[in-house]
Amino acid sequence: MDKVLTFLNTVFVQGFWKTFCVKWVWQTFCVKWVWQTFCVKWVYQTFCKDLVGKKLRFNSWKGWIYLLPAIILLLIFTVYPIFNTVMMAFTNNYDSLESIGGTSFEFGIDNFITVISSGDTFRTAILNTMLLCVVTVPLSTMLALLIAVALNSIKPLQKFFQTIFFLPYVTNSIAIGMVFAALFDVVGDFSKPYLVESWGFINTLLGKIGVQPVNWLDGIGVFGDATYWPKFAVLVIYIVWNALPFKILILLGGLQSVNKQYYEAAKIDSTPKWRVFTRITVPLLSPMIAYVVITGFIGGFKEYTSIIGIFGDSMADGQLYTMVGFIYDALPDAFYGEASAAALILFAIIFAVTMVNLYVSKKKTHY
Amino acid sequence: MNKIKKLLISLTAAALAATNVIGLASCFGNNGGSKVNTGDVEVVAYDGSAVTVTFYHCMGQSLKGILAECIADFNQLYPNIKITDTSFGDYPGVRDQITTELSAGRAPSLAYCYPDHVALYNKSKAVMTLDDYIASELEATHADGTKEIMGLTQAQKDDYVPFYYDEGKIYGDGKMYTLPMLKSTELLYYNKTYFAEHKLTVPTTWDEMETVCQQIIDIESAKEGGLKANPCIPLGYDSGANWFITMTEQLDSKYTSSEKGSYFLFNNEENRAFVKKFKGWYDKGYVTTEEIFGSYTSDLFTQTEAGKTKAYMCIGSSAGASYQRPDLNPDGQTYPFEVGVTMVPQENPETPKMISQGPSLCLFKKDNPQEIAAAWLFAKYITTSVEYQARFSMNNGYACAIQSVKDNSVYADFLQKADGGVGLQASAVQLTMNYKDYYYVSPAFNGSSTARDEMATLMKNCFQQDPKSGETEDQMIERLFKDCYDKLKKKYDR
Amino acid sequence: MDELKNEVTTQDVDPEVSVPTEPQTQTGDALTQGVMHERDMKKETKKQDVMKILGKIGVYLFLSVMAFIVVFPFLWMIATSLKHLSEYYDSNLDLVLFPGGPRDFHNFAEVFTETDLGRYFINTLIVGVASTFMSLIITVLSAFALSRLKFKGQNAFFAGLLATMMIPGELFTITNYKTVADLGWTNQFGDGGWFNAFLTLTLPFLVSVFYIYLLKQNFMQIPNELYLAAKVDGTTDLKYLWKVMIPLALPTLISITILKMMGAWNTYMWPKLTTTNQDFYLITIGLREAFSSADNQQPDIPLQMAAVTLVSIPLFLVFIFLRKYIMRGVSRSGIKG
Repeated sequence: MDKVLTFLNTVFVQGFWKTFCVKWVWQTFCVKWVWQTFCVKWVYQTFCKDLVGKKLRFNSWKGWIYLLPAIILLLIFTVYPIFNTVMMAFTNNYDSLESIGGTSFEFGIDNFITVISSGDTFRTAILNTMLLCVVTVPLSTMLALLIAVALNSIKPLQKFFQTIFFLPYVTNSIAIGMVFAALFDVVGDFSKPYLVESWGFINTLLGKIGVQPVNWLDGIGVFGDATYWPKFAVLVIYIVWNALPFKILILLGGLQSVNKQYYEAAKIDSTPKWRVFTRITVPLLSPMIAYVVITGFIGGFKEYTSIIGIFGDSMADGQLYTMVGFIYDALPDAFYGEASAAALILFAIIFAVTMVNLYVSKKKTHY
Repeated sequence: MNKIKKLLISLTAAALAATNVIGLASCFGNNGGSKVNTGDVEVVAYDGSAVTVTFYHCMGQSLKGILAECIADFNQLYPNIKITDTSFGDYPGVRDQITTELSAGRAPSLAYCYPDHVALYNKSKAVMTLDDYIASELEATHADGTKEIMGLTQAQKDDYVPFYYDEGKIYGDGKMYTLPMLKSTELLYYNKTYFAEHKLTVPTTWDEMETVCQQIIDIESAKEGGLKANPCIPLGYDSGANWFITMTEQLDSKYTSSEKGSYFLFNNEENRAFVKKFKGWYDKGYVTTEEIFGSYTSDLFTQTEAGKTKAYMCIGSSAGASYQRPDLNPDGQTYPFEVGVTMVPQENPETPKMISQGPSLCLFKKDNPQEIAAAWLFAKYITTSVEYQARFSMNNGYACAIQSVKDNSVYADFLQKADGGVGLQASAVQLTMNYKDYYYVSPAFNGSSTARDEMATLMKNCFQQDPKSGETEDQMIERLFKDCYDKLKKKYDR
Repeated sequence: MDELKNEVTTQDVDPEVSVPTEPQTQTGDALTQGVMHERDMKKETKKQDVMKILGKIGVYLFLSVMAFIVVFPFLWMIATSLKHLSEYYDSNLDLVLFPGGPRDFHNFAEVFTETDLGRYFINTLIVGVASTFMSLIITVLSAFALSRLKFKGQNAFFAGLLATMMIPGELFTITNYKTVADLGWTNQFGDGGWFNAFLTLTLPFLVSVFYIYLLKQNFMQIPNELYLAAKVDGTTDLKYLWKVMIPLALPTLISITILKMMGAWNTYMWPKLTTTNQDFYLITIGLREAFSSADNQQPDIPLQMAAVTLVSIPLFLVFIFLRKYIMRGVSRSGIKG
């Protein structure tokens, strides 16, 4: 890995390539091509063509007028920040404080190299994020599906249960993160039992059924070692808990709109329940499942507040770094260039995963 | 028709390019409307005009009450200076807020700070140097017509505890950036009753500390039921970071330097050796730290219930003295044990070294020179006012930045009552003042505050981690030091 | 194997096409059953009934267990908020609210004495109501344009809108802060101070892509014929929007209102960064600020839980009373997604 990076570094950052490749690519590709094809042509076509061509259609303008308030606010508070983020990401070692102090920065891709070559930190962030997505999304979707099907099959108390299952949706994730932390936290030095002030609720409960206490939150180590999995487990429990209401709601909504006929048909054939589930329910629900999975992945990639809520600002001394955590961590030192680069990388990943998801779901969904 | 088309295209392009340029200009500094001023600032006398001074701090509820009175009294002198203060909970809270504001070209007029923070803010060149104000002979007029000079009089300058005053100049260029506000150090609190009962000597060196720890464990094991019934951890240390840094000072074994390119010097043999020694202590059950225990170790020190784990010594901040005092007995008058306070153990008692902590005040450069002048006057007022320095100090156990406070009758009375119970705070303040020649302060640079946090993690990791298979303990410590060093180096000193 | 094939074909049938065939299937159903012997049938139904009841019990059991897990953190939070710090560590297992020992509201009393809760509450309410109102106008106009009007660049605009949802919003914070500061809105003292604070806390979040999307989907369900008929009658777009679309989409609008209000209640990072005058603090910062200070203090978990409970309870109440609309709002987007 290091070798590759040194190579990339020499090729892209130093000497000839830096001046030629980067600048040239920037000027011809980004400035000229993107500018002309995207900005100029698109803007021209949307705004000006009708004006120039004789068939000026009133409707066209009206649409934009209706959108005007939204567009103005979006330009100021969404588009400009995105633009600024891209600029900061491509400004070498951009530091917002030094910038205020009058330091000038060069254009380049150093920030991306810094982020990628930050070794363990970046690797941990990527692995954690991926692992969380891969574990929590299927788990919460399956659980939500089971609960939704169960809810759909009952009449009395359905509303009551529905209300309860939706409760986690209306809470502040940092606050409830604190509750989860308090439930699992072992106060004291876990390795010296006489120095433990409180084993925490969960350990006390486990103790009642004869299970040894687990050091859920405080073990010291790195990604993937023995101390990692208890933390990961707590995090998964919390994220699944937090994700359930939305998923149950969507899936239940889907179930209720499914045509009853299929089930009646299955009843006649006295098809076993599980087969009804796998052969009828799941295929018919596939659009909703796809939706839930895609939003789940996007949410999973942005996981941050739950980790801060449970493990504090250090994210378990970096053991539970995620991509967004990586971005936030660069902010107190004003390393905005790096943070922006990390954000763009995250965007690229989310975009790619979403595209793959959409592709797969298009192939697999039954409409 | 084609001509119009072309014209329109070029117009659109021009308009877009223009917005683009504006966007670029605003993201690369030099923002016209920005509120901080990063150029040179002229020193002026406050002319009585109406200005607002914003003051960021992290005072708790009770201190905020005193601050409000202080502001009211200051306004008797200068009724047109409006001071709006905001608390951001804790020091990192203040730092993060100011960093973000500075990134957008804003800042408060005045803020609580630690040297590490000033080093960070200084990247923006927006922190005001105070030398010119200190020397200024210009005069400002009070509401009642009397006058004061803007600068510090010789008497005022001499009144600051010299070490604290000089702390404002540690930023490499010899210039003064901060005024000391309130200060604390670390002290060794011990259970005086227990020590007297078992005829233990209070440790002054780390070697003695090791002996005392073993003695305490022996005493407790000999009791009925042994250690099982009388669990104990002889010493609690409330900050692993302070422990590490203080040891490097005491051993003179290097921690950091203010020289770019060699900021981080802690990865050396001597430091690994003392960490290894203390790891041995940890393994033997002599000591725990706040980071390992997960909560302040003063909890263990003030524990009096039978059968619960107790600590008989605790090293913690002088400003936290009230937390080292056990709860009152049921009679509501007496304490279950008396607390003794003394200097933290030393490597070499001839030349003691102790950490100096606590907030200072820094000013930010602003476009309106009157705002800076007003902020300066308030900073001067709050740090030189005997009455308020005394009240802040009595409220929370911090020591004052000025020496004349001792002459204040109320304060003298407070110090008189120093003891191991109700007057524990006074004892701590008294010691903090007595030890004024022994303090050290670590270099401040961008990254030094993260370095502190990392030292705490490093201590914790070395103490608690098990070596990987095929790795000796020495190799593990070496690895952990190197990882920590690489991480810091990569981030701040590349 | 045959069965399987049957099912696969069944599910491939388009639901709308197969609707009229429903009665026929039922007749067939009765016929096949009639062929069976009566005794066999009775036995069969009895067995089925038992299985059915057992299945129902299983379902309820499963739901109850899951429901308990889901509400448990809340129960624990409330139970803890009633405890004294000294007993918190000793008894953190008991969940029962009043198992002897002192249980009182002293933590809540402390929350009230330590903070200016009433003021924060009113601030939050003002910001919540105003931003919701403005946001609704923008959302309705945008959704109308995107769902009913045809114009150039419409799809590109909508795609761009959706793409912004994928970008981590955290990074906007600094630029937005800068914008707001450059506009002078962080100057929140003096006469116009409240207005600056108000603009800062509302404007950046008025456009919610998610809600535009939600409402657009809802508007699309309203038959286009209505619109065309209105056009023929010479009704203006705005009048049509007001008289026809809004009443029809009212449930969704109510859902959006509630969700937006809940958002205002929970927001933390942005107000913390931009509110320079403590008089304009919103409820979450107010509570947070009151319980963290630089003093060398132990975390008082029962007190924190009391604060968290106080923040959460209004939400629960709103939710319980307006459950229908909230759930519809959230699920609407999914069903049509």
